[in-house]
Amino acid sequence: MAVTIRHLAIILVAYLIILSLRVITEVVGPIGPITAQLLTLIAFYVALGQAFNIFLGMTGYVDFGYVAFMALGMYGMATGIHRAMDAGFPGYIGLTLGLFQAIVFSIILALVVGGIALRLRGAYFAIATISVNEGLRYLIEGLDIWEGSRGLPLSGPLISVFGHEGFSILATVISDLGVFMVALLALIITYVFLGSRIGYALRAIREDEDTARIMGVDTTRYKIIAFSTSGVLGGLIGAMWSFKAATIYPPDAFNILYTVEAIVIVMLGGAGTLLGPLVSGTIYASSKYFLAGILPGFQLLIFAPLVLAIIILAPEGIVGALRYYIPPTRRFIA
Amino acid sequence: MLEVINVTKRFGGLVALRNVSLKIDRGEKIAIIGPNGSGKTTLLNVISGVYKPESGRVLLTGEDITYTPPYERAKMGIARAFQIPKPFSNLTVRENAAIGALFGPLYGKISVREALEIADHMLKLVGLYDKRDELAGKLTVPELKLLELARALSSKPKILLLDEIVAGMPPSMVDQLMLLLKRISDEENIAIATLIEHVMRAVVRFAERVAVLHQGTKILEGKTEEVLRNPILEEIYLGKKWSV
Amino acid sequence: MAESLLFFLPYYLVSGLLIGIVYGLATIGLSLIFGVLRIVNVGHGSFIMIGMYVTYWLFVLVALNPFISLIPALIVGLLLGIIMFYGILRFLVKAPELSTLVATFSIGIMLEELAKIMWGTEYRGFIYSLGSLTLQGIPLPLIRVWPGIVSLLLVVALYLILYKTRFGTAIRAVMQDPEGASICGINVTFVYASTVALGIALTTISGSLLAIYFQQGINPYIGHLYTLRAFVIAVLGGLGSPIGALIGGIIFGIIEQSSVPLFSILGAPNPFGLSVFLAFSLILVILLFRPKGLFGR
Repeated sequence: MAVTIRHLAIILVAYLIILSLRVITEVVGPIGPITAQLLTLIAFYVALGQAFNIFLGMTGYVDFGYVAFMALGMYGMATGIHRAMDAGFPGYIGLTLGLFQAIVFSIILALVVGGIALRLRGAYFAIATISVNEGLRYLIEGLDIWEGSRGLPLSGPLISVFGHEGFSILATVISDLGVFMVALLALIITYVFLGSRIGYALRAIREDEDTARIMGVDTTRYKIIAFSTSGVLGGLIGAMWSFKAATIYPPDAFNILYTVEAIVIVMLGGAGTLLGPLVSGTIYASSKYFLAGILPGFQLLIFAPLVLAIIILAPEGIVGALRYYIPPTRRFIA
Repeated sequence: MLEVINVTKRFGGLVALRNVSLKIDRGEKIAIIGPNGSGKTTLLNVISGVYKPESGRVLLTGEDITYTPPYERAKMGIARAFQIPKPFSNLTVRENAAIGALFGPLYGKISVREALEIADHMLKLVGLYDKRDELAGKLTVPELKLLELARALSSKPKILLLDEIVAGMPPSMVDQLMLLLKRISDEENIAIATLIEHVMRAVVRFAERVAVLHQGTKILEGKTEEVLRNPILEEIYLGKKWSV
Repeated sequence: MAESLLFFLPYYLVSGLLIGIVYGLATIGLSLIFGVLRIVNVGHGSFIMIGMYVTYWLFVLVALNPFISLIPALIVGLLLGIIMFYGILRFLVKAPELSTLVATFSIGIMLEELAKIMWGTEYRGFIYSLGSLTLQGIPLPLIRVWPGIVSLLLVVALYLILYKTRFGTAIRAVMQDPEGASICGINVTFVYASTVALGIALTTISGSLLAIYFQQGINPYIGHLYTLRAFVIAVLGGLGSPIGALIGGIIFGIIEQSSVPLFSILGAPNPFGLSVFLAFSLILVILLFRPKGLFGR
């Protein structure tokens, strides 16, 4: 499965196309069915898939509490803006502080949960992570941190710091650009991992953790590396996406829907592949966008069985299946 | 280089190894034989770290590794190929072998490219080079055994432990493989200790020394020709009633 | 103020014990399924939710005595378990952990979403009272006592099944060694199916009992909270050990009941929320120091 520059280049071209389309739709308006909103959604889900893939895809471990990283990213950014606002600093200080906090919070979560649970088998890790969701959410509500269940307002402070114009740009173009950058970053990190010792270790762990250990792989260390990287990227997505939320409420921030979606996207595209998240992220975003009018509120009910079907029938996902059944494609897709 | 000193290993009431001692030097080729249940695999497990003995010690170049975990022993130069191959099915043959190089004693000292080069070298030695880009999951069982071997060799170990590598093979393959092992041991200066239960053909073509285990004790050790001629072998394999 | 906490300690111990036994019952299904099939039912809480709704609807629509609704809850649980096994889990017995975890997770989500579509997201409740005892001057409602007693009886029944019947022995055999059991002539697939059915049934029944205990706050997503609690208890008692689930449940029940007033005294704005966070922290602490729990294998 040697991953080459060619594989990466093809994907980068696709990314460039998406970016260009987004810019065009911003300046000129919709191109046929392709609207700015659709591209925003695509960017988000591709980023989510690319970030989550680094952990689920490359190690085979499921983080059922992945949305917690995104939530911490949102809170990190929001509290950063608040702090800057209260202290009278200009907007970009708030943004920088927000980004910094998003990263730090994510790292702390990754090290605490990962440091404890990744030393153990997948089942225990699943238990630990599915508890993270409720645990953190109730911590915030329980101690009334960050305005607890009352919700942390964001659009208000953003407007007061950046003005209406500035806020509008932040919530649309900057937010989308930010998410897109995270997707790009995740892509490049995945590429670097795949070709390096880290990638070999992670894939060995995914294939057969016991044998990997016997062969000298320090499995805990590599799992933590993958988990933290994936987590921080998730936090960054949350931070960038937060601009679109008027107020941040714990139940919304910790909504398990995002975790389900992340799992769908990674498994549908092909766990551990480079191209997978792009393909499935685009498919998923498009389905969601065009179906939103038809079946609101039914999303999870449709996607949960979908995940089930993928797990049973095609665990290697779209890209994985292509590479397996049609070997010539291996030259172009990874 | 490797010393097993007076090792005893119990499983509840069963004594699998009783006061067994063994010395293996750099580059030696030694076969450990004995009937089923004599403790050969247990001895291998104690050397590779899967079991910790109740008493006795294991030394590697003077260092006491009796309680060192298996994955650390891998880094110290003790490589092992398993009786039932456990390849990483969705990785290519080449990548499988490279993992041995990347995480063994050379950990941190070589790049991925260098590891792949070592892997290629070992694959050529065992004859799997042509299949290097195939997914390991698609190989046949004999090929998987060769891959196990290549993977273990890629870590450039000091000693390679083989558990019944020729069981179930046709005689021509046995000869080929044992000669290959002999060649590898010479060229790469790796000590090879292999467990053989009954394929004496393999012992003859490969081993310089033979150690015989019976019900947990080492009853005989010495040069291959001498040991194999000893009548006690017939007794322990066939029972006193049947020896000539 | 702390003196009042200490003074009422017997009350908290008793109420903790009573809810703890119910929690234990709620966890036994999880432990049993893991012990036999090595599958962690990540969607565990959804089945508790279903049990709650069974009791709720039967009470509200036909005024059925909630304790009698345990029987329909049992049946629903058995059916769900059988469908879940033969429809989905059967194909995943040999699959990597990832697959079964994601599968059970998805099943849990599906149940929640179906519940949401059928019954909406409003919090539902009912009122059913049997009077109360008094303990240390504080009233202890009987509808908080009986669930504990019923749960204990059910645990004893389970014990009898596991240790005194051929069926139970078969389950224990498969728990130890599926291949060995199969060689002895045990139909392992049937044992798997029955264990899942039994485990889910115990879970839905516990949901009914919890509905009787709390009577308020029933909604499709309440399962998440109970999944968290069940996991704390399962890890505390040892994954795969039914007796561990019971003991772990009692210990956890006592800790939880005592923690809410404790947090209140300490001035926390939302003592209940904090007690949930405490549960989560407990999981981490146990995993850090003794992942096997009390009786784990």
